[in-house]
Amino acid sequence: MSKELNLWLDKLLNDIENVKVERKSSRRIRIDVESDALPALLELLQGHASYVHLSAISCVDWVDAGEFELVYHVWSYETRSLVSAHTRIPREPGIYLSIYDLYEPAGFFERDIHEMFGVYFEGSPDMEKFILTEWNGPPPMRKEFDSEAFVNQTFEFEDYRPQWLQDIEEEGGGITTRPEDVR
Amino acid sequence: MKDIPYKYQGSILNPLRNLGFFSRKPVTEPLRPREASANYRGFHVNDWGLCIGCSTCQKVCDNAAITMVRIPGLEEDPVKGVRNERPAIDYGRCCWCGLCVDICPTGSISLTREYVHTCREDELDSYFVLPDPNGMHGEYFPKGWAKTEDADLVDLELQPMQEMDAETRIDSFDEIVAGFTGQHAIVEASRCVQCGMCHDSCPAHMHAPEYIRHIWEGNVEAAVREIYRTNPFAHICGRVCTRRCEAACSIGRRGDPVAIRWLKRYAMDSVSAERIREIAAEGKVDYISGKKVAIIGAGPAGLTAAFDLVKKGHEVNVFEALDRPGGMTRYGIPEYRLPYDRLDADVEVIASLGVNIQYNTRIGSDIIMADLERDYDAVVVAVGLQQGRSTRIPGSDHPQVHAAVSLLRKITLNEAFEIPRSAVVIGGGNVAMDIARSLARKQKMVFGEVNMTVAALEDFEHFLADPEEIRESREEGIELLDSRGPSTCRINERGELEGLATVGVVSIFDEQGRFAPQYDNSDAQFHPADMVIEAIGQMTDISLFGDELTERLEWNRGRLQVDDIGRTSESWLWSAGDMVNGPDVIHAVADGHRVAASIEEHLA
Amino acid sequence: MRPENYQAINQPPSNEFELNFGPNHPGIEGNYAFRVKLNGDEVTAARADAGYLHRGFEKLMEGRLWIQNIALVPRICVPDPVPMEVCYSLAIEELCGLEVPVRAQWIRVMQLEMSRLAAHLFAFGGHAATTGMYTPMFWGVADRDLILDRFEELTGGRVYSIYNIPGGVRREVPDGFLERLSNLLDYLESRLPDYDSLFFTNQVFIRRARDVGTMTQEQALKWGVTGPPLRATGLEFDVRRDDPYLVYEQIDFDIPTEPGGDALSRNLVRRAELLQSIRILRQVIARLPTLKGPVRCPIPNPLAWNVPAGESYTRVESSKGELAYYVVSTGGDKPYRVHVRGPSAMHAVQVLEKLAVGARLEDIAQIMFSLDACPPEVDR
Repeated sequence: MSKELNLWLDKLLNDIENVKVERKSSRRIRIDVESDALPALLELLQGHASYVHLSAISCVDWVDAGEFELVYHVWSYETRSLVSAHTRIPREPGIYLSIYDLYEPAGFFERDIHEMFGVYFEGSPDMEKFILTEWNGPPPMRKEFDSEAFVNQTFEFEDYRPQWLQDIEEEGGGITTRPEDVR
Repeated sequence: MKDIPYKYQGSILNPLRNLGFFSRKPVTEPLRPREASANYRGFHVNDWGLCIGCSTCQKVCDNAAITMVRIPGLEEDPVKGVRNERPAIDYGRCCWCGLCVDICPTGSISLTREYVHTCREDELDSYFVLPDPNGMHGEYFPKGWAKTEDADLVDLELQPMQEMDAETRIDSFDEIVAGFTGQHAIVEASRCVQCGMCHDSCPAHMHAPEYIRHIWEGNVEAAVREIYRTNPFAHICGRVCTRRCEAACSIGRRGDPVAIRWLKRYAMDSVSAERIREIAAEGKVDYISGKKVAIIGAGPAGLTAAFDLVKKGHEVNVFEALDRPGGMTRYGIPEYRLPYDRLDADVEVIASLGVNIQYNTRIGSDIIMADLERDYDAVVVAVGLQQGRSTRIPGSDHPQVHAAVSLLRKITLNEAFEIPRSAVVIGGGNVAMDIARSLARKQKMVFGEVNMTVAALEDFEHFLADPEEIRESREEGIELLDSRGPSTCRINERGELEGLATVGVVSIFDEQGRFAPQYDNSDAQFHPADMVIEAIGQMTDISLFGDELTERLEWNRGRLQVDDIGRTSESWLWSAGDMVNGPDVIHAVADGHRVAASIEEHLA
Repeated sequence: MRPENYQAINQPPSNEFELNFGPNHPGIEGNYAFRVKLNGDEVTAARADAGYLHRGFEKLMEGRLWIQNIALVPRICVPDPVPMEVCYSLAIEELCGLEVPVRAQWIRVMQLEMSRLAAHLFAFGGHAATTGMYTPMFWGVADRDLILDRFEELTGGRVYSIYNIPGGVRREVPDGFLERLSNLLDYLESRLPDYDSLFFTNQVFIRRARDVGTMTQEQALKWGVTGPPLRATGLEFDVRRDDPYLVYEQIDFDIPTEPGGDALSRNLVRRAELLQSIRILRQVIARLPTLKGPVRCPIPNPLAWNVPAGESYTRVESSKGELAYYVVSTGGDKPYRVHVRGPSAMHAVQVLEKLAVGARLEDIAQIMFSLDACPPEVDR
């Protein structure tokens, strides 16, 4: 990372309040910022610090804390470093601003997060379902959704009855531990 | 667009060049399935001779594809750590990742180069496969992805355990083994694959997989709780148990077994004494039943029974002839293996629950059995094996020929006796090692040098003592001689003991397996010594019963006859521990539980 | 979409109609649906419809131990599974602080480049098929099969190699493997003139592919395009050089670019990358025998392995673009969150929709294959 931009970035970040910066390695920076300051931060990063590429938006469901953590990973071609901007929003109501106007790739990620976690992004051009078009249940990536229980309830499983098992059961043996018991 | 450096660019012959394709071989795939590579991950094959049914493969399978099936007729031996279960795999779920192969502790399961299986829709049962040595379809396919040295996922090496070196430890009776530190304990506990073989082989069925898991999680209090479900003598067992669990451990098949004994010690040492008392008291009923139980002997068997019974609300009185509790664990095991304060800690926990222990009370003289029969609802005799057997060779009645157990008791009681400048021990078991090493320390303290010899009937491959004892005693300067049988204790004209004469041993057991040693008298040696110690076995002092009761009871070749719940022929008298089962702490603990359960049922 | 949920659209007669392109169609790479509104044969609007390959990997990975996920991870991208495994392993190694032995790093580079070769052969074979030239497609598949033979020999599996674990690789390289790989590279280089004469310099193909799906560099940067499509607009950016991982800093390779930004340029970039991958592989083959040592570093018993809490964002250059994994651990023995950012998440959805507008019907498949859209990556 070039020295001038380094200083620029530090000064930039110091100007915004409530920002916690951690340099994790030579090309990774972690920033924790309040949810209302994040769009401004991203705009500054994009416009002034050359972070033009949005690599991904990740969402983590911290169900015990009652929060969603949104992580915006932006990459700069010039300084060759990645900034991950972390912010937290409350789980209820789970609404946030869309940054589609800043970064177009956000359209896909926000749509995906809306579908999987139920977070609504205001201002996003497209909040329609994408992958789960015929799904009527709760957003499946939330921690309270138990996909294994859903599968066990919805689908019927048939037991295998091969000949060798029947022979063993006649001799007095049989299945002792099913895999579901030790998972 | 940039120009591709095309070899034949612009050539007029280009179309004709294509005629060259007639001479090339087309890509041809054979109709028959071709042979897979040497590393291929095909269908499973399982060597039933090596497989022990530990079900570790089932735990690591990420698709939950493995089911354990019990197959009657296969070997089932909890002591060796073998189950008669084998894995069956659902090929509808399996993805052939090979994690089961990499983690198998014995290396029995592997993937072959077979990869073709077809079936009709009504034959879908064929997807549930029981891999055996013959392969899925009975055709031979060579092994593909099999276990190799560098691909093992289990950790085969033991975490290092600090021990005092020989020069330091010979100078004192301080505990030799340092015990695990927190980090080592957690790493050692992480080696466990939770197969449960240790639980099956332990005589007391301790919940070892559970407490190992708690140690790994860092929750030592939960570990202590699991330990106390089956064993109130964990400070002791964590140091001196004979470790049936480690002999059955599946990791021990190809590597070092998980150090279950040291982990138990770590858990017990990490929790404060008050907390252990609180945990041990959990589950104690809060009413008094009004029944009284007498227990003779405050050793592991007796006190375990006391622990169980007092938690059920009965009044328990323990009578101990010596002035401190513990029995052979105190008076037989030297302090460098088991410090007395750890033993006291275990007994303190039991006493804190309300067990009354009366010391210096000998049954048969201070109180007689008839009194106990009258005053108590149940009586347990657990006096252990306090007397040593004698070889009865000529000269063995000389005052300088001692039984190992009595000398060990003297050392523990700190009673003075003349430390011999040189001594010979007859016998090759753990007691012989204990007395040899204790006397070696005494010799070093008094004379500045060690002069101990141990002469055992067995040869070194079959030595009865633990390999660690053998190694450590050699390091401490003790001479070990194998295949020597005692012939005489030579006494000179002045009546002093000169030493032990031994002869070579040809065989120990006869064809029927009975103890009948054969000696080679031409191979004679003489070992000069000031003292000869006999450590060939132990027996009980049955004088406590008194003549009348001894007549009434049934005996079996010198030992008290008990049924499978520990009850003697008298309905009010139970017996437990060494005197019934032979010397072993964990068996004594298991016995104590068994007898307590039986008494509980009788009193209810 | 389930058949019962499909509703036919009633429209007054016009030149416009809506066509459902996919999910089962030879012009679509994988299972993916693409609804286009056509006016004659020109596309006026396009809408991507994914979900036919949704297996719920991100949720599944949260319920499995760290090591069990190595069997799930390659399945996220079918043509190019190795970068998925490597990226997952790198993320965990960063969280745990594991040091991968040098030999294992070179073996990983070897696998990545072999997988890139296979994926590129598949990709331009597919592109040829969309323009109606089926011979290069069969050639591509057949040559890729030879690479899969090498994978089988090295890892035990042809497509899903499940060979990388956190800490290194699972097995040592077999004897004679490097020689056979070297022979294969010679063979592939000798095949290039055939591909060139039939496909890359074929005027039929060039006229079909030129100016189809064009994007400028500004558009590419705005839309978040990475990988060969970005390099085809002239921007020289490659994760291997700019955000290096493993031992790429010690290897000599160029990053080819093309200025055109259309389907033809993307194809030519892939062809040039093929040569670069062969060049990298030759360096690896020369270097590997001199490196001795283990092929993995010791990891704890997988059933009792707690990865320290933290998060890690690891990026890898797959054959399609920038692949990234965001792994969050709370100190337990299972991941708390694994987010897979596949390159096709951009290419196959928004970029494809934008590029398709104004294209002809017969070019949609071409655009999709030239972008190397991989629906399993979109759906996870």
